[in-house]
Amino acid sequence: MTALSLKNINKSFGDIRVIQNINLDIKPGEFVVFVGPSGCGKSTLLRMIAGLEDISSGEFWIGDRRADQLPASERDIAMVFQSYALYPHMTLAENIGFPLRLAKLPKDQINNKVQEIASILQLEHLLDRKPGQISGGQRQRVAIGRSLARDPKVILLDEPLSNLDAALRLEMRIELAKLHKQLEATMIYVTHDQVEAMTLADRIVILNNGEIAQIGSPLELYQTPINTFVAEFIGSPKMNLFPASVNEKKSQKKSIQIIGSNDEFAVDTNQHPPQELQTGNQIQVGIRPEHLVPSDTGKIKGTVTSTEQLGSDTYIYFDSDTIKQAVARINGVASIRPGENICFAVAHEHYHLFTSKGNRIKPTVL
Amino acid sequence: MVRFTKATTAWLLLTPMMTIIIGVVGYPLIKTVYYSFTAAHLASPATTDRWVGFKNYIKALGNSKFLDSIENTAYFVSVSVSAEIIIGVLVALLLNQAFKGRTLLRALLILPLALPTVVNAMMWRLIYGPDFGALNALLTQVGLLAEYQSWLGDPDLALWMVAIADIWKNFPLVALITLAALQTISKDLIEAATLDGANTWQRFWTVVFPAIVAPVSVALVLRTIEAFKVFDIIYVMTRGGPANSTKTVSFHVYQEAFAYMRIGSGASYALIVVLISALLIATYLWLIKKQGNTT
Repeated sequence: MTALSLKNINKSFGDIRVIQNINLDIKPGEFVVFVGPSGCGKSTLLRMIAGLEDISSGEFWIGDRRADQLPASERDIAMVFQSYALYPHMTLAENIGFPLRLAKLPKDQINNKVQEIASILQLEHLLDRKPGQISGGQRQRVAIGRSLARDPKVILLDEPLSNLDAALRLEMRIELAKLHKQLEATMIYVTHDQVEAMTLADRIVILNNGEIAQIGSPLELYQTPINTFVAEFIGSPKMNLFPASVNEKKSQKKSIQIIGSNDEFAVDTNQHPPQELQTGNQIQVGIRPEHLVPSDTGKIKGTVTSTEQLGSDTYIYFDSDTIKQAVARINGVASIRPGENICFAVAHEHYHLFTSKGNRIKPTVL
Repeated sequence: MVRFTKATTAWLLLTPMMTIIIGVVGYPLIKTVYYSFTAAHLASPATTDRWVGFKNYIKALGNSKFLDSIENTAYFVSVSVSAEIIIGVLVALLLNQAFKGRTLLRALLILPLALPTVVNAMMWRLIYGPDFGALNALLTQVGLLAEYQSWLGDPDLALWMVAIADIWKNFPLVALITLAALQTISKDLIEAATLDGANTWQRFWTVVFPAIVAPVSVALVLRTIEAFKVFDIIYVMTRGGPANSTKTVSFHVYQEAFAYMRIGSGASYALIVVLISALLIATYLWLIKKQGNTT
C-alpha cells in the first residue's frame, strides 16, 4: 500500500525540462524530504503533487486513485507555505477552521476540531488574535494547524522553517518531528537545508537538475553516496575529493594512491574487477572532514589557510598539493594557525571511491 | 553666524508657503464667510456691507431650486460613483490576469484620466449629438433605435448621459487603485485557499475582497467628494438644463453668484456645499486612519 505514487513524472516549461522521469513511492505515515540546491525542481515537484502545477507527462496516484487530472481542491492534500499564507483578516481560529467552513461542517464540529488542533500545537490562548499579532514561530504553528484541519491524506511543507531565525528553526524542527510521530501523517517536506533533511526524514530524495540523484535514509546517503554530487551535498562541511591514481599490486590486487601524498591503499577487486579500476586510471577519493585526523605520521599533507573555531569543533581549511581549500573537522578547540604545515591520517574504511566523472565505485577498501 | 533652533528653522521654511496659502485660500474663505451674512450684489457695490445675518442661510435651506440641485447632485453622485466602483473593480480584476497585451491595456487605462474634463465633455457632447452623433448612428444601425434622439435634450435622460461621460473618465482611477491593491495579495494566499477547497467565488470573497476593501473605500470617498463638486462637465455639456434636470449644487452656486450676481446668497450656498464636503472629507480621513490601524 502506498500513500502516493509518482510514475515517470515530467514537467516542461516550453522547451525547458524542469522535472525529468521522477519515479517515487511514498508509504503511509512516511516523512519524505525533497532536498537539493536552488533551482533543482524540488518546489515544482511539490506543487505538482499539490495540483498547483500541471504535470506534462507521467502518472500521479494518491492511494489507488489516479490524481494527476484532479483539481487541487479534490486531492485531499494540505500544504504549508514558506510564507505561511495565513489569511490576515481572519483570527487564528478562523484560519484553522477555514477548510472546515468551506467543507460546510456544522459550527460545533468546526469549533471542536479547532480546539483540538490548538491544544496539540499549544495555540489555545492565541485563537482570538490575528496573524499580524503573533510571532513567526506561532504563525508557523497556525499554518501547520490549518493543514491538519481536514485530516488530509498527505501534508506538503514547502521550506516551512526558512523564514525563522536559527534558534526558532531548531525548536520548530524538533516540534515538527514530534508532531509527525504523534499524528503519523504522511508528510513531504521541501528544503535546501541538509541538516533539516537529515534530522527530520525517514527517507530523503536528493534532486539535481530536475532528476532524482539518490533516494535513501539519511544515514544511507551519508555513508554510501551514489555520486560526488550527493557526497558533497550531504554532510557539513562538504566531503573533500582528492584526485588519485590506480596502481597494480601483487596477487591481482589494485592499489589506490592519492596523488601528491604517499597514502596508498589496496582495494578488493577479486569479485568483479570494475572497468574504472584499470591500472593507470584517474579516480577521486572522497574523505569527510570529520575523518581527517591530525597526526604527525599522517600521509595527507597540507598547509593551513584558515581556521574557524565553533567552540565544540574547529574547522581547519588547508591546501594540499592537489586540491585547494580542503577542510578537516576536529573535535574541541585546536590551536593551529594559518601558514602551519599539517598532516592528517585517515582510517581506510572512511574512503569513498568515485570515478573521474563522479560515480561511486563499489569495491571494498581493504 | 546666526544659529536657529530646529523649530525656528521649520517656521522660517514654512512661512513663504503659509503666506501664499493664507493669501489665496484663507483670505477668500474669510471674505466668503463675511459675504454670506450680507446682501452683497456684484452690480451694486453699495450692498457689500449690508448685513443680513442668517437670512441668506434660511433662504437657501428653504429654496426648492437649491434643494432640487442637492437632489440632482445626490442622484449624480450615487449613479456615477457606484458605476465607477463596479466597473473599476471588474476592470482591475481583468487586468490582474495574465494575458497577452495586458501591459498595453494597463497603459491605455490612463488615457481617460489624462484627458482634460472639458475635452472629455466636448467629446461626449459630440457622441451624443442629436444630428450626427456617433451614439445615434450606432444604435440606429444595429436596430436598437428607430430614429435619432436628443440625448442631452431629454430631461429624463440628460443626467444619466452626463453621468456616463463622467464614469468613462473616472473609472480608471478606481481601477488603478484596485489594481495596485490586487498586486499586494500574495499568490500563496490564493493557492492556500484553493488547497483549502475554495472555489473561484469563495476565493474572491475570502481572500481578494478583504484585501481590496480598504483601498476601494478610499477610492469611493475620494470619488464621492469629487463627484459632489461636479461643475465643468455640466457647464460644457448641458449648462444645468434641460429644465434644470442636470443642475448640481456647484452649478447652482455658480449661477447664483456669477450669473445672477447675488454674491451674498451665493456665498451662503457655497458654504453649505463646503459643509457637506467637509463631512465627506471627515469620512475619508476616518477611513485612512482605520486603514492605517489595520495594516
